[in-house]
Amino acid sequence: MSATFPTPTRFVTSRFRAWWQARLRKTDTVLLTQRNIYILPTKAGLLFAGTLLTLLVASINYQLNLGYVLTFLLAGSGIVSMQLTHNTLRGLTLHLKPMTPVFAGDAAGMEIVLSSPSGARHGIGLRIESADVSTLTWVDVPSGAQATAHVSFVPASRGRHELPTLSAETRFPLGFFRAWTVWRPAAQVLVYPKPERPAAPMPSARATPGGPAQSRRTQGAEVEGVRAYQRGDPLKLVFWKKAAKALEAGGDLVSRDTSASAQHELWLDWQACGTLAPEDRLSRLAAWVVTADRAGVNYGLKLPGVDVPRDHGEAHRRSCLEALALWN
Amino acid sequence: MELSLVQRFHRLPREARDTLFLLGVIAWTVLPHLPHLPLWCVALTAVMLAWRTQLALANAPLPSKWWLVTLLILSAGLTLWTFRTLLGKEPGVTMAVVLMALKTLELRARRDAFVVFFLGFFIILTHFLYSQSLGVAAMMLVSVWGLLTALVLAHMPVGQPALRTAGTLALRTALFGAPIMALLFVLFPRIGPLWGVPNDGTPTTGLSNSMHMGSVAEIAQDDSVAMRVRFLGRVPPPEAMYFRGPVLTAFDGREWRPLPIQRATAQFDLRTRGEPVRYEMTLEPQRLAVLPLLEATTQPPAVEGYRVFARDDLQWLTDRPVFERLRFEAQANTDFRHGLTATRATLRESLELPLGSSPRTVEWAMQLRQDPRYARADARTLALTVLGHIRTAGYSYTLAPGTYGELNPDAAIDEFWLDRKLGFCEHFAAAFVVVMRAMGVPARVVTGYQGTDPSPIDGYYIVRQSYAHAWAEYWLEGSGWVRADPTAAVAPDRVLRSRNLVRPQGLVAGAIGNVNPALLAQMRDAWEAVNNRWNQWVLNYSRGQQLDLLKNLGFSSPSWEDLSLLLIAALSSMALAGAAWAWWDRHRIDPWTRQMDSIRHALRLLHVDAPLHEAPRTLAQRVRAQLGDAARGLIDVLHAIDQQRYGRAAQRKPDHALTRQFERQARQLRRNR
Repeated sequence: MSATFPTPTRFVTSRFRAWWQARLRKTDTVLLTQRNIYILPTKAGLLFAGTLLTLLVASINYQLNLGYVLTFLLAGSGIVSMQLTHNTLRGLTLHLKPMTPVFAGDAAGMEIVLSSPSGARHGIGLRIESADVSTLTWVDVPSGAQATAHVSFVPASRGRHELPTLSAETRFPLGFFRAWTVWRPAAQVLVYPKPERPAAPMPSARATPGGPAQSRRTQGAEVEGVRAYQRGDPLKLVFWKKAAKALEAGGDLVSRDTSASAQHELWLDWQACGTLAPEDRLSRLAAWVVTADRAGVNYGLKLPGVDVPRDHGEAHRRSCLEALALWN
Repeated sequence: MELSLVQRFHRLPREARDTLFLLGVIAWTVLPHLPHLPLWCVALTAVMLAWRTQLALANAPLPSKWWLVTLLILSAGLTLWTFRTLLGKEPGVTMAVVLMALKTLELRARRDAFVVFFLGFFIILTHFLYSQSLGVAAMMLVSVWGLLTALVLAHMPVGQPALRTAGTLALRTALFGAPIMALLFVLFPRIGPLWGVPNDGTPTTGLSNSMHMGSVAEIAQDDSVAMRVRFLGRVPPPEAMYFRGPVLTAFDGREWRPLPIQRATAQFDLRTRGEPVRYEMTLEPQRLAVLPLLEATTQPPAVEGYRVFARDDLQWLTDRPVFERLRFEAQANTDFRHGLTATRATLRESLELPLGSSPRTVEWAMQLRQDPRYARADARTLALTVLGHIRTAGYSYTLAPGTYGELNPDAAIDEFWLDRKLGFCEHFAAAFVVVMRAMGVPARVVTGYQGTDPSPIDGYYIVRQSYAHAWAEYWLEGSGWVRADPTAAVAPDRVLRSRNLVRPQGLVAGAIGNVNPALLAQMRDAWEAVNNRWNQWVLNYSRGQQLDLLKNLGFSSPSWEDLSLLLIAALSSMALAGAAWAWWDRHRIDPWTRQMDSIRHALRLLHVDAPLHEAPRTLAQRVRAQLGDAARGLIDVLHAIDQQRYGRAAQRKPDHALTRQFERQARQLRRNR
């Protein structure tokens, strides 16, 4: 009920949050100062204030000077802890390292470097601002040094995405106050389409580029190409050398494609994906790109309006996947 | 290889180690309460803490909620059974200790941990209800430190921080908080109890508004301090050190009480001779509306917050019971005459003996009075005769005389006077007064303190609760009320040497005392000096001292409103100082960052794009691409900085000369274009 029709307060807070976050400047490096650190007492802090009040009343009623000493010592420590909590964040520099592209559905890891010019800092927790408190990643920053924290999120769809708003918070040392900051990273993350799993059989290499795609796989022909392993492939067709590498990288077995000839060219073609929906076609092509790259063969990519010429290697793989990620 | 206990403790998993540490702190905090707690509470708490320790070591799950509810109901029932109530100090402390132990069995969420901390702080406070001595204060300081350390530990979620680190951080927090504590302690307006009268603060024996003969078999030697007296000028001799408390005239056969207040008099019947003695008194809370002042104090002392007046029996009263430490100045004449103008009519109450009370003693007195030798004797002669009787008839002074009047409460004095002849001051004073009254001489019991510690410490003479005393006064035509101390007749040391009976010493004190009595005395004196400072500066700090402080600061007629304003002003300026420091501190950024900031600024003035994330080396490439060889100097500096920061011989801090060189060359370049 509340999910579909948000309560007025929730609606107002979410609108306020959106408005307020939109005001924040996007940056990959942020120096925390008084201007961007917020601090409020926690529930424990309020409970502590209540305890102090009880102690004070008891000291007054029983005329206990040592009771006053205890109450005021705790009060002093509590007030100082506010400064110390604020200090834990103040002067800290947060820097987001360049993002590596990910496949949709995989976790995109943000590597954040925290550097402290002054003393050691303890108990700093980072998370995606909208995520649950339990997802906090805790980190200590040694004096005059750097520490790295990893925060990840799962992008839902392909494309170039803005990074989610991050928050860093601390309750150190006594937990009576929570200081936090909200940070919108400027970097973007490239998200490749989610590879189809299990991958459909690779299209066979064709004699003439641009011709109609046909599967002409015949057993017993000469070994000319490779494709992803399929159930029922005879063991002698498995290309063990490549397969070992592929398995190491977490992929599938690779079989020799007896239908492809050396002079034939492997094209991963939008048209070869049958009657699938566009997004599913992209997923299948992404899976093919990954397989072909693992096999180490030359391959090209054909999308409506985009052609990536045949090549191989890491850079080629990336440009193919990028084309898939950004196609529309 | 056998590991020591400490090593094994440090090798425990983090959670187990933290839990054990917290349990240790809790045990330490509860420990001083052992004598005040019922046995079942001690046992239950010990079992629960041991259980929790075992669970932590075995990493076993915590007990179910049913266990806790059962234990809670059980302990509440036992408390009710022990004290017949759940309210008040003793049941409150008992329940707090049990709750704390119970809560350790429920440490699931962070909120539970906070409840333990706050209960801990509360239990620390309850110790001060029993004692505010230096020792207790030191022990509780350790407790506070331990609890804060556990709190800090709970907020260091990364890895396994050393206890020492957390302890240092907690100490640092407390030390930074100390100035605020001092400020609040000095300036927070001291006000009286907000409601009710706390009857169950520190239990002290001492003065009482009534005396019940023979009900006490043995009086405990309470060596705690009742008051400290500093003489401003001449010091009276020890035998004149009588501090007059309640005057007990009304006697119902069993109990002595003061006469009901008829009138307060400012012009009481007192004649003094000689120079008065001026003194300053620091009086511990007596929990009575009585000021035991030196005999005979002539003017009402100015006591902040109280109205002081005297009854016509020379007893000084306050308008309400005193539950705080008082410090005031007064003056007394130890040579005085009092009650000269009294008449038989006004002395009626001092002659009353209830019918049937102490019949044998009354008969003994009548026989003495009818002795032809004393047919015409005056009150003085009779008193001296009775005192002589006490000296010679085999009476002895003891603190443990046993109970009198168990069979017949009305015959308690008979038993003492004629049969057992063992007693302390109360017995002697009461019997003396009964004998005198039986002989037709007006007499009354006076209670108070007699004597001080023999040598002053820091100029302060200490009067202990154990110096509480009872003596007698009889009325003599022409002389008024005359003091007679029957105890002095049997144990002159008790009065003259200003020392109570030697009590059995502790083992260590006894050993030291046997080897070197002087050393023991010296140690005791040094300890008393420290303790005295503690009392004067910390425990005695009250409204009077606060207002004195304001006077010294230049307030002409200070009030608690001034105090509050001063406190608010001081706290605000502290807050401002904190904010100013934080503002200044914002400049304290990484020196490398600051260097790169200046360089980027200089480059922007040259219209060179300088993104934040680029290293000096990358910036050098940009400079070459955009400015060409003209900027060779800039490029060199950038390479040098890159070497200093990231190169093989990387430095810890940037070289500011390079920064300045870069800025200079950038300026030159701008001018040339």
